[in-house]
Amino acid sequence: MARRSILAEDETVGIDMSPMIDCIFILLIFFIVTTVFVDEQGIQVDKPDAAATAMNEEADDIAIEITENNQILLDDTEVPLQQVAERVRAKLGDATSLTIRAHSKSKHGVFTSVWDAARSGGAHLLSFSTVD
Amino acid sequence: MSRRLLTREAEGETGIDLSPMIDCIFILLIFFIVTTVFVEEPGVEILKPGVRLDAELERNSIIVAVTAENKVVYGGKELSVAGVGARVRQLLNRDDLPVIIQADARADHGVFSDVWSEVKNAGAKKISLSTRSGQG
Repeated sequence: MARRSILAEDETVGIDMSPMIDCIFILLIFFIVTTVFVDEQGIQVDKPDAAATAMNEEADDIAIEITENNQILLDDTEVPLQQVAERVRAKLGDATSLTIRAHSKSKHGVFTSVWDAARSGGAHLLSFSTVD
Repeated sequence: MSRRLLTREAEGETGIDLSPMIDCIFILLIFFIVTTVFVEEPGVEILKPGVRLDAELERNSIIVAVTAENKVVYGGKELSVAGVGARVRQLLNRDDLPVIIQADARADHGVFSDVWSEVKNAGAKKISLSTRSGQG
């Protein structure tokens, strides 16, 4: 009797997969739940360190100013946002450095738009400073 | 003969073949393991400024948010500007990640600038600001 049952077991040789499947399911559910698909668009904002910025300002480079009322000033004249890129391109010539001086109460959106416009106008060495 | 075979098959092994299912689950599991990044999202509503020239940012980053009310948020908690510096320094000590500042278009530039300086001083090598592409 005992021998027969051993023989019968021999016929179906196989590993019991169910515990493994349980484990894998739990892992799968954990990863599905914790996954967040971060899809960020953006621009890298970097500026030379403080000493270099001070030197640049002495060297009279091109600066765009953003006032408290979100007006964009280039050479003390107001420039609409649509024209910033071409004005920058015309003024830069061979230079590539430009400083944006934004008032601390101006809106971040305006600053970003000006940064973007200056970059599309050919200014690759951008820096910004904040005035109160 | 054929009837006998049928009954034997029916009575013997009644089980679904699980291997294709396991294959599928393994593929799903590997996909999720590979794509998962553990990023603390700020979890606040941000109106991102629209720009024309922007690029895809790295998935695995530290995200700091500045809301329209000039509140600084990291990982769902409101922090002070100085607190962000300390928090980011702590995180950078563990792992050298890029930092993304998600600032609302209506936030004050001064707050963004302060956060930028704090993050820079905390030792971040790459700081980006989050934008929405397509708008000029």
